[in-house]
Amino acid sequence: MSAPELDVAHQLSRGLLSTMRSLLVLGQLMTESTGERQILDLAVTAVPSLARCRAVGVERDGAPTGVRGVDLVGAAGGPVELPAAGWGWAYPLGSRTAHFGHLVVAADDEPSGEEQFLLRALAQQTGAALANQRLHAQEQATASQLSVVNDRLRGTVGALERSMEIHARLTAVAVSGEGHDGIARAVHELTGLPVAIEDRYGNLRAWAGPNRPDPYPKDAAARREAMLRRALATTRPIRDGGSVVALAHPQGDILGVIMLVDPAGSCGEHELIALEHGATILAMELARVRSLAESELRIRRDLVDELLTGTDEESALTRAVALGYDLLRPHRVLVIEGRARAGDNDTFFQAVRHAAREEPAGSLLMARGSQVVLLADSEADWEHLRCAVLRELGGGRVRIGVGERCERIADIPRSYRQARLATRLLAAAEWDDRVVRFDDLGVYRLLVGIEDTDEVERFVQRWIGALLDYDRQRSSDLVRTLFHYLDQGGRYEATASALIVHRNTLKYRLQRIRQITGLDLSDPETSFNLQLATRAWQTLRVLRAE
Amino acid sequence: MDGDGAVTDASITMGQPGVTIRPGDHICAFYRGVVQRDDVLVPYLREGILAGDKCICVMDDPDTERVLGALGPDVDRSLRSGQFDLMCSDTAYVPCGYFAVEEMLGFWEHGVGDAVRQAGYAFVRAVGEMTWALRDLPGVEDLVTYEARLNRFLPRYPQVILCLYDLERFTDGRVLMELLRTHPQVLLSGQLLENPWYTEPDDYLAEPR
Repeated sequence: MSAPELDVAHQLSRGLLSTMRSLLVLGQLMTESTGERQILDLAVTAVPSLARCRAVGVERDGAPTGVRGVDLVGAAGGPVELPAAGWGWAYPLGSRTAHFGHLVVAADDEPSGEEQFLLRALAQQTGAALANQRLHAQEQATASQLSVVNDRLRGTVGALERSMEIHARLTAVAVSGEGHDGIARAVHELTGLPVAIEDRYGNLRAWAGPNRPDPYPKDAAARREAMLRRALATTRPIRDGGSVVALAHPQGDILGVIMLVDPAGSCGEHELIALEHGATILAMELARVRSLAESELRIRRDLVDELLTGTDEESALTRAVALGYDLLRPHRVLVIEGRARAGDNDTFFQAVRHAAREEPAGSLLMARGSQVVLLADSEADWEHLRCAVLRELGGGRVRIGVGERCERIADIPRSYRQARLATRLLAAAEWDDRVVRFDDLGVYRLLVGIEDTDEVERFVQRWIGALLDYDRQRSSDLVRTLFHYLDQGGRYEATASALIVHRNTLKYRLQRIRQITGLDLSDPETSFNLQLATRAWQTLRVLRAE
Repeated sequence: MDGDGAVTDASITMGQPGVTIRPGDHICAFYRGVVQRDDVLVPYLREGILAGDKCICVMDDPDTERVLGALGPDVDRSLRSGQFDLMCSDTAYVPCGYFAVEEMLGFWEHGVGDAVRQAGYAFVRAVGEMTWALRDLPGVEDLVTYEARLNRFLPRYPQVILCLYDLERFTDGRVLMELLRTHPQVLLSGQLLENPWYTEPDDYLAEPR
């Protein structure tokens, strides 16, 4: 090769070298680029600098370009038909592992081999940058997903930690036995909001935090019940006006209510969790207190039961000491009988219990069927107690039989029998509801005390046997009529009223009595014996029922 | 003092391993995000402050404390002495709410010229964060004209001008190609390259636009 030829060859290779360096810089810039559009813009803009061509466009991922034949050239690239261009070529935008589309270029005439080489290199470089870009985007997406997962995990861990803190704080309160006040204080400290604990009926039991209302407001019963029903229907706390409310209801039985005072509505998930945990601890505390109360009640009931039937004195004393009760005081047994307008035996029992506590008349009591037996440890005004029970019941009926005072434990069964008899006599004699003291029973007391009831029976038969037979055979009511007539001192109006019969009916019945017995009721001796006989008949009925 | 005669061929360290700059360099630095920006900007200025160069930094990012903090304790002294001028892009590039090529070139003439002629600095390092050009302001379309004409200004003083372009903000590849054609040097991935795409300002400005 001659010197001029060598010079030209060197110039050509310098030019090629410079162009290759241009491609290298461009490739590096593409690698640093932040998006596919940026990369493709760089490629398209660079085409005229590398060859006497223009970029017609880019076909990406098989999307239609309007250039005929691009879809046919495949991953290897190839010629395409372009309007108003002598030459067209689709260069594959590909990397070793992926194909992204084509860079479509056009020229009036076919470019030189060197130019085509540069265009192919540009397309390859663009493809590599696109592959890199997609990999980077994938990595970023994965990192972003990871970041989201991490954030969620962090959130969960944070919530768990807060939940554990709440749990630990409230468990400590439960263990320490700080009661309602401790629970309210802990929830207040955990939430920063004032906390109220109420019983089922809306009475304040504990408050923690500022601005305690005085007097404490109480909802009407109907509104309260509606709120409790709404809270029971859901598993999470509910909003009730300016408060957020959770129920303490072990086994579905509402024992209490705990609430956050939050008129601004600032209460979030953390506060709700603290409130829920607080409600759980409160439920445990209330269930424990109730269980204790029930246990004590059971022990008292068992003690009363044994005292009434006669028990080993030593054992009774030991149990009384355990209850903190002085059994060696004098007692009387009261049998209280009645019914509420509405409600069951338990309602009646609770009414008697409250009234006896308030009076105070005694704290040892038990239910026996429809009756309540009270071991009274004071000489209270029994009629006052009866009215107090009626008040507790809100109406209904109450009568009380009072046994004799007993100085010794061993006398308690006798006092109980007396109280029972007094109550039965009250019923048998159809007296108005009242208190009947066995001490005041007069002739009945004598009759009850007679051990040989056969003699009493003979006395009854002697005086009113014929009437009893008549009543039995005719299902009439002559003995009862005679009893009330004599009990009312022979007053017609009062007797008719007690029997709830017409005056003429009474007159007729008295006429029959005179005919059957052949006795003169106005004779004082006869009247006395008949009165005694009818009372003896009542007493025998009561004793037989025992 | 006439700045034309002060240009020397001595290599000056840029602050990054293996990267040296020469007086007259007009460098386009591409980066992604503020962390990469500071990887270029902070060593460049720190080296300048240590070497006693006049440093002029125009930032578009209002969080200048980030850069000042990274420059270390000497920066306060250099700010007080006037060795280091730190200004915001609004003051430097668009002081009247629009961008004007002539006024901008005047800004550099004044800043660099005074530093060399009056304050006697032997070398000036200038750096501009160019994201201000993405704002919708009158005159920003003349950005590449300005960059091309800056190449005529560079040889007048012993100076280097570093233009910072964030690839996450300058997303238009056609604009990037124009920036390549107007900067004789390009800093990419920590490498300073002689830019083969560079077009002399006379040729570039003669092209129809």
